[in-house]
This record gives sequence, structure tokens and C-alpha cells, in this order.
Amino acid sequence: MSIIQDFSGYNPTWCPGCGDWGIGVAIKQALIQLGLSPSSVAAVFGIGCSGNMNDFLNAYAIHSLHGRALPNAIGIKLANHRIPVIAIVGDGDCYGEGGNHLIHACRGNHDITVIVHDNGVYGLTTGQSAPTAQKGFKSKSTPTGILETPINPLALSITSGATFVAQSFAGDALHSIAMIKAGIEHKGFSIINILQPCVTFNKINTYQYYLQRVYKLDENYKKDDFKTAVQKSLEINEEKFPLGIIYQVEKPSYTDQLPQLREGTLVDKKRFTDFDKITKLFI
Amino acid sequence: MTDFTWLIGGEAGFGIMTTGVVFSKIATRSGYHIFDYVEYPSLIRGGHNAYEVHISEAPVSYLSPTIDILVCLNKETYEKHKNRLTSSSLVVLDQDEFEIGEDIKKIIIPFKKILVSLKGQPIMKNTIALGASIGILGGDINELIKLISEQFVKKGEEVINFNKQFVQAGFDEIKKNYSDKILNYLVKKPGEAKLVLTGNDAFALGSVMADCRVYSAYPMTPSSTVLTDLAAWQEKVGMVTRHAEDEISVINTAIGSSYAGVRSAVGSSGGGFALMVESLSFTGITEIPMVVFIAQRPGPATGMPTWTEQGDLLFSVFSGHGEFPKIVLAPGDNEEMIELTAKAYNLADIYQLPVIVMSDMYLSESHKSITKKFVDEFVVRYKVNRGKLVKNPSFAKASEGKLNYLRYKVTKDGISPRLIPGTSGHFYQANSYEHVEDGHTTEEAQPRIDQVNKRAKKWATYLKNDFSLPMVYGDIKNSETVFVSWGSTKGIVLQAQKLLKTKGTDSAFIHFNHIYPLDKEKITELLNQNKKYILIENNSWGQFGKLLTMETGVEIKERILRYDGRPITAEEIVGKILNIKSQITNKS
Repeated sequence: MSIIQDFSGYNPTWCPGCGDWGIGVAIKQALIQLGLSPSSVAAVFGIGCSGNMNDFLNAYAIHSLHGRALPNAIGIKLANHRIPVIAIVGDGDCYGEGGNHLIHACRGNHDITVIVHDNGVYGLTTGQSAPTAQKGFKSKSTPTGILETPINPLALSITSGATFVAQSFAGDALHSIAMIKAGIEHKGFSIINILQPCVTFNKINTYQYYLQRVYKLDENYKKDDFKTAVQKSLEINEEKFPLGIIYQVEKPSYTDQLPQLREGTLVDKKRFTDFDKITKLFI
Repeated sequence: MTDFTWLIGGEAGFGIMTTGVVFSKIATRSGYHIFDYVEYPSLIRGGHNAYEVHISEAPVSYLSPTIDILVCLNKETYEKHKNRLTSSSLVVLDQDEFEIGEDIKKIIIPFKKILVSLKGQPIMKNTIALGASIGILGGDINELIKLISEQFVKKGEEVINFNKQFVQAGFDEIKKNYSDKILNYLVKKPGEAKLVLTGNDAFALGSVMADCRVYSAYPMTPSSTVLTDLAAWQEKVGMVTRHAEDEISVINTAIGSSYAGVRSAVGSSGGGFALMVESLSFTGITEIPMVVFIAQRPGPATGMPTWTEQGDLLFSVFSGHGEFPKIVLAPGDNEEMIELTAKAYNLADIYQLPVIVMSDMYLSESHKSITKKFVDEFVVRYKVNRGKLVKNPSFAKASEGKLNYLRYKVTKDGISPRLIPGTSGHFYQANSYEHVEDGHTTEEAQPRIDQVNKRAKKWATYLKNDFSLPMVYGDIKNSETVFVSWGSTKGIVLQAQKLLKTKGTDSAFIHFNHIYPLDKEKITELLNQNKKYILIENNSWGQFGKLLTMETGVEIKERILRYDGRPITAEEIVGKILNIKSQITNKS
């Protein structure tokens, strides 16, 4: 059984009060509660304040390029489908630069867990607007207000084929732990969009802002119904933020569907040497 | 000695490509060697397709300037290729469809009538043409029937028998009307088993031999058949291929799988590789092994997708932002493709860096026969070398969050021990930021200098242990002219040397396939003799020449460059050499 120190690397450099603190603790707690150790989990970090968790969280890890964490995570899973793989990314990272990868990771139902820090801004580059920023949001890169409408990460994921889509709030660590655990335990593609106040660059989507607008899904909510889930996910367009598992269904994951992985992982298998099976095709 | 060229042409979308491969295989099964080449536009229907096969008793790796048998499934084939006919060439056509000039030796095959009487689809003209071709060349119809049966084995007896009729009909037309013209070029003779491979097939085969377990790609001509080969074999050999959403995802998938411990590769053409380049730099700093296959085509941008060029050499050599070592190889033919592909996987593992294997449309899509013996012997000779991959680490385990394993340990040879993720008691991060020895991020000066120097040392280690000098064909000492070239031009330059020899000119040829980095001292010595050096490249800048100058200071002034999308020919080289010679004679 691991303890929190096992997962703790360098001391975080996040701003005091940043939502990332809550997310960082929630991830470690979820991993501990799942019985994992830094040796038995693979984590891929994007680039941004969220991705800087690479130095604060111990695991077999890749600190990737901006936007590219998801294909790295997919690659790890192809090579070793028995190791849990999580991708720790930001909104600009996953919904902007890496948006195409998100869509296709959902389509493939790749068995990875994507934890998105959604704060509406690019923190590390000092506060330009992110794809989840609300229309009209003023930032250094959009001084007269952003013209684009925000991405709806929940609706996008559900309609792209994700089999687990959840939302939590960085201010509610216990709920975030539960969502992360459920995501990792889910077989197939899981995404947890975590609403995270950026205390330095986002003066709109503050703790107060979210506390007034988040609510937990009740027990009777039908998370396995596609249409209900899409409808629920659209509420964020009206600045209402449901917390919980918005959508979850069981479907074979990508690696489940590969007959060559039935016996074991790629990394553990024996080398193929019966080359006549291939050369005969060319005679 | 049998040595002839057969060309079949017709409208795109009518099965010319498959027909050509069948013909090549009949030739090799009958005991001959082949080299073939396809010309096609970037279209699925419409436009012109041409498939030519050079058949010889001796190994062959170039195209002949003349065509001996021209099979025209439409008039355009004749119009496009008639300038390569000689007085003894035969032209196969259906006069019910079109007429050609009187002074040509014609073989009339009533394709249209046969199709109608046997109720065949227009695409089956090819099958008739194959029967007729085997007939006129004195080949064995049973070999052809056997091959067709193998091809349609999954579709059942009925389909096989249906196809047989068309083969037989074409063959019978020859027996009936042209028995006096049969050439006996394809008479079956004993010979060792051969494989009919494209350069792409050779890369795919080399990858399987080298134990590649993940191949990730996005279709892009002329690299796509590597993906389709490996996708077809993946369950059999136990690997995974991924056709990702774009080339950025392609390389990052392979980075993930390589990090996780399996040999991984990606493939594309120049445009797709351009999208991968940021991530190539990522493999540089994280020191994750990666094999990258680039099948070049003429650019810039979309360029001429289905034609050939060696225009991406400097781009590949200098690809990626920042300073990090990489290795670039460029095989000259199928045998080299198999050897260097398998070597690339070893180099990637030993030096923990990206290794680029360069091809081009000419090498990637032309079939060249190689003996099965070559492959069998190579399998025995080749050893998988995973370098400093640590299976059972002896160093102390991590405790309370403190690492004892140093992924980026500074070593004398620049290479650090690599752990497979999942190894219990340890962990580490592959960090795209500059890092200290244990992988954590740093912006301090000294660790930065240490890591830059460590990575750079890998080049010196490579040059000492694994770099190969270029092959020299002919004797530099006794030759006035020394050709310098790289990659796929090999077979063409070798043929040019032979032709020059028949004209009394001795030449030497320095063929580079270990392109970058180069051993300055040894290369300079080769290029500093008092000889007329001639650079031959399939591009307009003489890119390899520029690289040589950059690396050695030597400048090769005489250049033969071709950049119209077509491969250089031996005749072109000979013509230019003789021309230069006569100019010199005239001056004196």
C-alpha cells in the first residue's frame, strides 16, 4: 500500500489558491485508494500549469509536448494494456492544440483516463483565453473580448464516442477523488473535466462563481442514456455546471478488440521469428 | 542472355497495377530477375497508368531505355510510349478499339470480342493481356494459372475458373495466330526462389525481422503500403498498427509505445513528416528510440504526389528544433533496405534517438526481385540489440518518493540506462523540458550543459562503433570519373558504369547509405583524390553535395541533377559523361 509521500515529488510551484492544488491532491489520493504505486501507473502530462505536475507527482511518466499527451497515452496503452494510463492536461492543451487527438481518442474508446484542468485561460503563458473561455472574455490575446463561443468538452466527448464523461470542481476534493477513481476503473476512454479557478488570470470564473453554479447530479440521473447525457452536457452553455458522471456505458476498448493482445501485452510477448509466413507472400 | 522490357498501360482504375505484379512474379517464378516501375497520376479513375517490368537473367535494378513488348489497353499507352519502341518491338493491341501506324510489329488481340463472348468485365482485359503476354514470350501458361488461382483462392473455385478462361483466351490467340512470332524470352529455367518486393515491402519486412511491435502511420503516397502491409500482417506477427488521425498523433503514439518498451516506428512522405517534426525533437530530448521511414516525393507542399524525388534530404537531416543527435540512413535497393531497416531499430535502441530511413517513390514503389536466400541468411546474421535497456535493475529502489534511478545519467558514451515502465520499485519521467539526471525539470546552467554534451556524445560513439563508410564500386585509382551519389540512385549509377565500360571508360562510384552524421576525416580522404567527381542526385539543389561541403569542406562542382519527377536514367548519365569528354577533347 502506497502512502502520499510515495507519490510526492518536488513541492508544487502553483500560485497560492490555484485550483491545481486540489486536483493534485485528488489525483494522488485516487491512486492510493486504488492500490496503485508510482511503479504501477503511467502518467502523461501536457504543457501548462497542469502539466507542471510532472515534477510533483511520482509515476512512470512522460512530460509531453503541448497538446500531445493523448496520443502518448494511447501509445503506452498499446504497448502495455495492463498498466493504468492517465493523461493530466489543461483546457488549451486538450481542447485547443490537441483537440483533434481528443476527438479520435474518444472514437477509439482507448482505455485511458484524461483529467482536464479547465480554467478558461492559458495560465503559464500569462493569461490568454482558452477554448473554454466564455464568449466576450477579455484577455491579453482577446483585449476586446473573445469572439468564439466556448467548446463544450462534455458534449464534444460524449458525441465523439467517449464511454465515460464526468465533471468535477477543484474546490471539492472528495468529489474529484471519486470521479478520478471511477474514471480509472472504467474500462475504455474516460474524461474528467475539472472546473478549476485560476486565481491569477481569470477574475470571472472564480471559486465564488462556480460555487453559485455547480450542482451534483442526483441518484436518479440516468448516466447510461446517450440523449439524456447530451442534454445534460448542454447545460454548461447556460452556465449551469452539473457535477458527477454525466455519461457512462460499457463498450469494448480499443485494445480489447485486438486479437493479437489477447494472450498478453506487446511489451511482454516473445519475438516473432517465423518469417517464412511473411516471405511466402512475395514469392 | 535474356534481357527485355514489357510494359502494360491503360486507363487508371482498370487493374494495371495488380497485373504488373502478377507479371513480375511469373517472371521470377520462371527463373528470372525483375525490376519494375509504375507511372500513375494522383487519381483513382481516369488518367493513365503504366507498369513496366525489366526482366533479366542477371539481377537487375534499373529501367531499360527501350520497350520490347508494349501492351496497349488504350491508345494513350501507345502514344505515350511509342518513342521507346525499336524496329523489333512488338505492340499488343485490339484493332477493334483503335488503330496505330502501319510500320509497327503488331500483335492483334480482340480484347473486346473476348470480353463479350465470355461475359467479362472491362477490367478483365488485363487477364487476357497476361495470357497473351505469356504466350508471345514463350512462357508457361500453367505458372500463370497457378498464380491466378493463388490470388483468388479466398474467392473460391468458381471465380478461379472464370478467370482462367480469360487467361486461356489470350494465350490461345497467340498460339492460333502468332505461333511464328513467339519470342521464347520467358522459357522456364531453373533458378533459386526469389521475392518480388517493393522498397516499402522491404521496409515492412525488415521491421518485422527487427521485432518492431508498433507501427503508426497516416496514409500518404508513396509510403502508404508500409502501413497496409503491416496492418495485414499484424495479427500474424503479433504487432499493432495504428492509423491515427494525423501525423502528429502518429509519432506521438509511437513515442508512447516506445517509451513503454516496445520497438516502434512511423512512416510518411515529406509533408506528413513535416507535421511530425516538433515531436521528433521531443524524442531527441527524451531520448526515446524512434525509427522514422520517409518515402520522398516531389514537393513543395502537395507537389507531385505519385512521382519521385530526393528533395527532402536536408530537411530530414536538419529536422527538429533545438540541437539533438539523430541518424539518417538511405538504402540503395531492397537488400540494403532490409539490412538498414533492421539496423535502424538497433541504432535507435543503442543510441536512444531518432533514426530516419529515407526512401523515395522510385525505391518505395518499384518491385525488385531478391533471392530468398538473402533473406534467410540475413535472418541468421541479424541480432536484435536493445542497447542499455535494463531488465532487472541492480540499483536501489525508490523510497518515500525519492528516486535512485537516473534515466539521464551522464556517461562516457552519452548513453544512459533505460528502464521499462512498470518495473517495480522504480519510476521516472521522460521529460520534454531540459532535466537533471533523474528526469526532473531544470533551468540551471550546469545540468543544461551536461545534458547537451551527453546527448551530443552519442554521435561520436556512433561514428566510432556503427557508422559505415560509403561503398565504392570500381577502382578510384584507375578511374578518371568518380560518381558520388546516395540512396535509390544506386542501381542506375551501377548500370551507367557498365555502359561506360563498354565505351572504354572506367569509372568509380561512391555510394552513400549512411548519410548523417558523416565521418569527416575518412570521407574527405575519399573525396580529395585528383579525380573528376560527379554528383548525381534526383533533386535540383544537389542537396547531398551541400551536406558534404558542410561536413567536409569539399565541393563537387560537376553535377547531374534531375527534378522532373522521373528517376535519373543510366543513359542520361552516360550521355553527359561522353559529352563532357568530347568537350574536353575538342578544347585540347
